[in-house]
Amino acid sequence: MSEAKDKYLKEAVAPYTPLTAMEEASRCLLCHDAPCSRDCPAATDPGSFIRAIRFRNFKGAAEIIRKNNILGGVCARVCPYERLCEEACSRTGIDIPIEIGRLQRFATDYESATKFKALDPVPATKEKVAVIGSGPASLSTAANLALLGYKVTVFEAKAKPGGVLTYGIVPSRLPQYVVDEEIQYVKDLGVEIRCNIKVGRDITIEKLKEEGYKAFFIGTGLQSSKTLNIPGADLKGVISALDYLAAAKPTNGNCEVGNYVVVIGGGDVAMDCATTAKHLGAKKVTVLYRRTREEMPAYPPEVKHVEAEGVNFIYTFAPEEFLGKDGRVVAVKGKGTRDESFVQLQADTVVVAIGQQADPDLPALANFKFDGKLIISDEDKDCRTNLPYLFAAGDIVNGGKTVVKAVAAGKVAAKSIDEYLTKERAK
Amino acid sequence: MAKYTDLSINFLGFPCENPFFLSSSPVAATYEMCAKYLKNGGGGIVFKTVGTYIPDECSPRFDYTRKESTSFVGFKNMEQISDHPYEQNLEWIHQLKKDFPQKCLIVSIMGMNEEDWTKLARDVTAAGADILECNFSCPQMTKEGMGSDVGANLDLITRFTKATLAGTHLPVMPKMTPNIEKMEFPARAAIKAGAHAIAAINTIKSITGIDLDYYTALPVVNGKSSISGYSGKAVKPIALRFIANMAMDPELKGIPLSGIGGIETWEDAAEFLAAGCSNLQFTTSIMQYGYRIVEDMISGLSLYLAEKGFNKLDDFVGVALPNIIPADDVDRDFKIYPSIDLDKCVGCGRCYISCFDGAHQAIQWDEEKRQPKVDEEKCVGCHLCLHVCPVYQCITPGKVVFKGQDQFGLGSEAKYSENLPNSREIQFRKAHR
Repeated sequence: MSEAKDKYLKEAVAPYTPLTAMEEASRCLLCHDAPCSRDCPAATDPGSFIRAIRFRNFKGAAEIIRKNNILGGVCARVCPYERLCEEACSRTGIDIPIEIGRLQRFATDYESATKFKALDPVPATKEKVAVIGSGPASLSTAANLALLGYKVTVFEAKAKPGGVLTYGIVPSRLPQYVVDEEIQYVKDLGVEIRCNIKVGRDITIEKLKEEGYKAFFIGTGLQSSKTLNIPGADLKGVISALDYLAAAKPTNGNCEVGNYVVVIGGGDVAMDCATTAKHLGAKKVTVLYRRTREEMPAYPPEVKHVEAEGVNFIYTFAPEEFLGKDGRVVAVKGKGTRDESFVQLQADTVVVAIGQQADPDLPALANFKFDGKLIISDEDKDCRTNLPYLFAAGDIVNGGKTVVKAVAAGKVAAKSIDEYLTKERAK
Repeated sequence: MAKYTDLSINFLGFPCENPFFLSSSPVAATYEMCAKYLKNGGGGIVFKTVGTYIPDECSPRFDYTRKESTSFVGFKNMEQISDHPYEQNLEWIHQLKKDFPQKCLIVSIMGMNEEDWTKLARDVTAAGADILECNFSCPQMTKEGMGSDVGANLDLITRFTKATLAGTHLPVMPKMTPNIEKMEFPARAAIKAGAHAIAAINTIKSITGIDLDYYTALPVVNGKSSISGYSGKAVKPIALRFIANMAMDPELKGIPLSGIGGIETWEDAAEFLAAGCSNLQFTTSIMQYGYRIVEDMISGLSLYLAEKGFNKLDDFVGVALPNIIPADDVDRDFKIYPSIDLDKCVGCGRCYISCFDGAHQAIQWDEEKRQPKVDEEKCVGCHLCLHVCPVYQCITPGKVVFKGQDQFGLGSEAKYSENLPNSREIQFRKAHR
């Protein structure tokens, strides 16, 4: 394997050993009120699991994480800690926060390495629930419902489950084996996952109702890339971010990434595209972003990482035109967004990473309230839609937030579905 | 005032360049090892216990107590006396004296009976030793009349000390076992029998831990293990207590003491000196970090003594002894409230938890502001909060209140007095070093 590809597949952050984990955990002040726990959206309770590690109770630590966050190992790798638990950490008042994410990863890795399973399956004695989509919100909903005794089936349109975890986030941040293991964890709780079935196309909700499904959850996320309406957008070599990432991760990087790659956009997805291009052998990778570095929405530590990998960043420029030759893109013309500057970049590949939107087929799925972009639901409160049997959460509701937010919403959805079905049962 | 204080000190008639000696142990087992240490600046060595027989050692033979990231908090070893041939040891001793005439060469010996002790003393003296150390205290030797049993038996101490003296004209220094309540008694017996100094402590009988897979003590030797000697930083408080007891014993007045037990830094060394030692020995810290650490002990101690105005090391020996008093005599007339610097406070609440769960519920917690507040009605001035606070100089000794000067029992406030035994500086040092 080439060195660069090794970088693509190998996790960038080194794991802790039991000793270094305890060492880091012993830096924890063991706060009375644990502000880290307060600030975790999914209530993963770092205050308790760090203490468990500190007192060498590694299995106990895994148990705390898993009971609160079914995707603990995934979140350990992709959470924006610096904006959540680590920002709240009291140790910041002395020097630097506890590396909570790495400790969480240590505990979930330990669980996996020792074949310890913190959660046991519950007999599925209750109603059938259909979960549409298999990204983090869906997996969290499914697992939490299974733990309540529901018979859950997940329907996934793609060939593999995991959604953004499998088709999006680069392996150097989130190796596929971690995703696979946690999906297996969900399956071991009794959840059935059926791939290559797109609800609405291959089977309708009405049909599923006939088959005995009593409640439905939609967690299909935002799986279509937004497109640019500028000259040359349909040239060969201009590709959407999601397609670009989806070609790479499931093939372990055995794909064409281009030599002169320009990534348009400044979010986390854009960073993943730039990393993918760089690690898989592109000669020159440039990120073109329309605002300033400070305004860029990508997680700052990841931006630093991408910069360190040798990716160029050009700020306050927007693409004006993609120039082509024989139907194939050869350059990107950009215009200054804050001044009268111009830039022209050689490009054989242009990755458009300016955001995602809902699948255009989604509104036809059911008669839920749809504001043109997102499903209307309050995922912090109950994940209900206007249809009593239909619940929704994750990116399709919040417009694209974090994995941990999706996990948190899945917990709310499961509780809400349980309340709904419990009431229905009593009728 | 000089920046450095000269560390030379006379020990049992030998002018030592400094008080730092390797103790009789694996770290002083061969010519090559001792020579390397002496070249590193050590004042002398105690050559590993020479006997007339060669022990059969086990593998593995060490274990340690760990606290979080700190390994070797305490260290356990199962080694016995030197496992080199007798003649080889004598040759090494001879060569060491020849090559390092300015360094003090103490040789540890252990006999199986009186005849043996005399023979060993005679041979080692002839080989070139400056001082003899009698190993009355190895806890992993359980043959009758050997090991730490000797140090607990006044009759054996007397007989073996006399037997050693019969074979030498050199000063004799028994090394005592701490596996006993009062070390003064065996020490007195040794001195009465003619010994010239006392070395203490040897290792403490211990089980560092139980292996939770093999269900035996650690280290596991083919599924079994035994009780054996514990050393390192963890034993320092125990060693200092034995040293101070002997240093303050009227019957042992003026007897030189060689201090052993967890010396790792110049501060540890200074503490043993302050408790009455004029010679220092160490092994565990050397096993962990190597001979080079003596360089930091030398420079650290020398700078400290100069800072404190001591012109020679001798003046520092025993300085703490007048201030170590019986518990009943400790001044109980006042209490010192903790003072919390809220600008430094990070809001962790550790003081609140410890005060509630481990002391007197005298710290109130403001959930909203994440701030502690001392309730002076309940505070007894124990300073647990000060010790658990993770922030440097956040909680410090504050207002001093004398008890019982107020008819309402509230005490009167007094200005902080520098004459109070718990000076601010000492509290800081203790809490944060």
